Amino acid sequence: MGKPKVAFFKLSSCAGCQLTALNIEPILLDVLGVVDITYFVMAKRENHGGPYDIGFVEGAVTSPRELEELKKIREECSVVVAMGTCACFGGIPSIKNFCGMTQKEVEAKVYTELWDIKSMPVYGIDYYIDVDYYLRGCPIDKNEYLILIKSLLKGINPLFRFHSVCNECILKENVCLLIHKKKACMGSVTASGCGALCPSLGRECEGCRGPASDCNAESLAEVFMKDIGLSKADVARKFLKYAGNTPEFSKGVGHYEHY
Amino acid sequence: MSTTRNIRVDYIARTEGDGAFDVLIDSNGIVKKASWNVWEPPRFFEAFLIGRKAEEIPEFVQRICGICPHSHHIASLRAIERAMDVKVSNQTVLLRELLHYSDWIMSHSLHIYYLAAPDFLGYESVIAMAGNSDLLPIVENALKIKRLGNDMIVVLSGQEIQNKTSVIGGFTSVPSVTDLRKLQDQLKKMKEFAYDTVKLTNTLASQSPYKDLSRRCEHVALQDVGKYAINEGRLVSTMGLDVPEWDYPKYMIEKHVPECNCKHSIIKDRDSFLVGPLARVNLNFNTLSIDAQKAAKEIGFTTPCYNPFMSIVARSIELVHAIDASIALIDEIGTPVFERPRFSYKAGKSFAATEAPRGTCCHGGQIDKYGVVKKWDIVAPTARNVYNLNKDFEEFIPKLLDLSDEDLTLKCEVMIRNYDPCQSCATHSLKVRLQRE
Repeated sequence: MGKPKVAFFKLSSCAGCQLTALNIEPILLDVLGVVDITYFVMAKRENHGGPYDIGFVEGAVTSPRELEELKKIREECSVVVAMGTCACFGGIPSIKNFCGMTQKEVEAKVYTELWDIKSMPVYGIDYYIDVDYYLRGCPIDKNEYLILIKSLLKGINPLFRFHSVCNECILKENVCLLIHKKKACMGSVTASGCGALCPSLGRECEGCRGPASDCNAESLAEVFMKDIGLSKADVARKFLKYAGNTPEFSKGVGHYEHY
Repeated sequence: MSTTRNIRVDYIARTEGDGAFDVLIDSNGIVKKASWNVWEPPRFFEAFLIGRKAEEIPEFVQRICGICPHSHHIASLRAIERAMDVKVSNQTVLLRELLHYSDWIMSHSLHIYYLAAPDFLGYESVIAMAGNSDLLPIVENALKIKRLGNDMIVVLSGQEIQNKTSVIGGFTSVPSVTDLRKLQDQLKKMKEFAYDTVKLTNTLASQSPYKDLSRRCEHVALQDVGKYAINEGRLVSTMGLDVPEWDYPKYMIEKHVPECNCKHSIIKDRDSFLVGPLARVNLNFNTLSIDAQKAAKEIGFTTPCYNPFMSIVARSIELVHAIDASIALIDEIGTPVFERPRFSYKAGKSFAATEAPRGTCCHGGQIDKYGVVKKWDIVAPTARNVYNLNKDFEEFIPKLLDLSDEDLTLKCEVMIRNYDPCQSCATHSLKVRLQRE
């Protein structure tokens, strides 16, 4: 078998996940030796059309044009990977879905002439197409990215386990930010895989990897209000951030429609 | 006889994000239209930030851009801290400077070697450059210097792309002195390569036709007292602008242009302007590190330089400076001590600016007494440069009409890449469409 043809596509996003794919300098040239990057606009001038073996899709769908592009990507790629939290759940741009303004009101806040602006609510790509693999995180975790590439080369399933960030915090023997420091940490409901990066640096988990497999958002919302002293609106903001579109996180918001 | 030629390029490669450009040239060789069209809808940061809490703003706005997150992050932090009257320690100021210089080292080396150099050397990408055994050592060093920028960011903020430790009032954790010293050793080792980069980029930008193309326009940058401005300063220009950074909304005016999601920027009562490395080097040459100045003088770089193709050289000069400045900052920081970041909400309004790798990055807004954001304004450097880029096209394309369509398209792309555009920042989309009547 020849080298698999790999493509990187960008929808509405910051390019941080694509850049993470380049941020593997010590082994970048090795990776380029085993895959054939045939489409990567940010890195190359000569980009070739499909079909591709693996398509990494970064970013969320925010416009009809992107939706058409996404459907074409699905047709052209044997394997589609949602690369990063925007592609997985909608990410930061999805906050506009919950800000209590209509699409037109959102547009009018930023632009004066709206006739040529076509935007829609923001969702992850599996709202529209079938997705084969997910790389979560804002941005993606480099090691997970490499594990996925290696697994696909070997034809095996990557073993990603989305238990909560708490598990990784305990392995690192971190002091619990929620219980001991009274910080509004989302670690107990958020999927691990980041090595409890933020809590290990004294920063509360913000939930960028989306819901853990055993997510109990209602319970954490109660703790946030009773023990940490957050208002209902503050709790809603916590859950309506990176993955507010997911049913798991929206349970944490309760009856609060927006903050 | 009139000739009609249509050239269409769907994406401009090797820029961050993707966009469209329409060029229409009539049979007399006059550029009828040169406009940067942005099709893709923006992500409406300025809208959805309303109603969020002050401490969330720096976390969110760094996600505008994966290449210059810290420029947005630090500008918004400083605007909020000024609005809420939060004082930070000198150590925090120094760590933020080091963090931002790390971003410069990463972004500048990414641009010079990954994005721009293939243009000048006739390759389609840095990957293709690595296939040439003569160029492989340069590519390997390029990977190393970019890695160094990344390593610095990891030490300071936990991860390469989005910052995890920097918050209102300071840092949730500080790096160890051992890690900082290790970085300092690496910086000292990479300096020679940065120095050589200045010479290399000068050779590339001195090729024909680039060397003869220059266009006088207003250059704008922050200017600090006694040091090269990166995180704060006054806004100054080559045409006499000299105002506090928080007054930027009064002097840098934005207007919405039909058919473009990206607003165009002008200086009040004047015209388009340029921000970025070339403007900074022109305006702040005397505060560059001694070796950066020396490198510039050795290649005969004189200020003011109005040739936009020399931007890559200005970027290389800044790469030397960023390394020198980082080495000095690590000495000045010494052994960092953990200081708990503290702040309380206070109603206020303020604006601030930083120098992103690609130019002046402005943030600011209004916060109520509960810390809820009422209004937020973001102007990324690429948005500042769009209008100026259009003027470059109008000036330079008539001089390049003898070139084949293929070559002219490439030269247009180079003109765009001069600005190191970050189209996620400016909202997306860049397509070259060249039409000749």
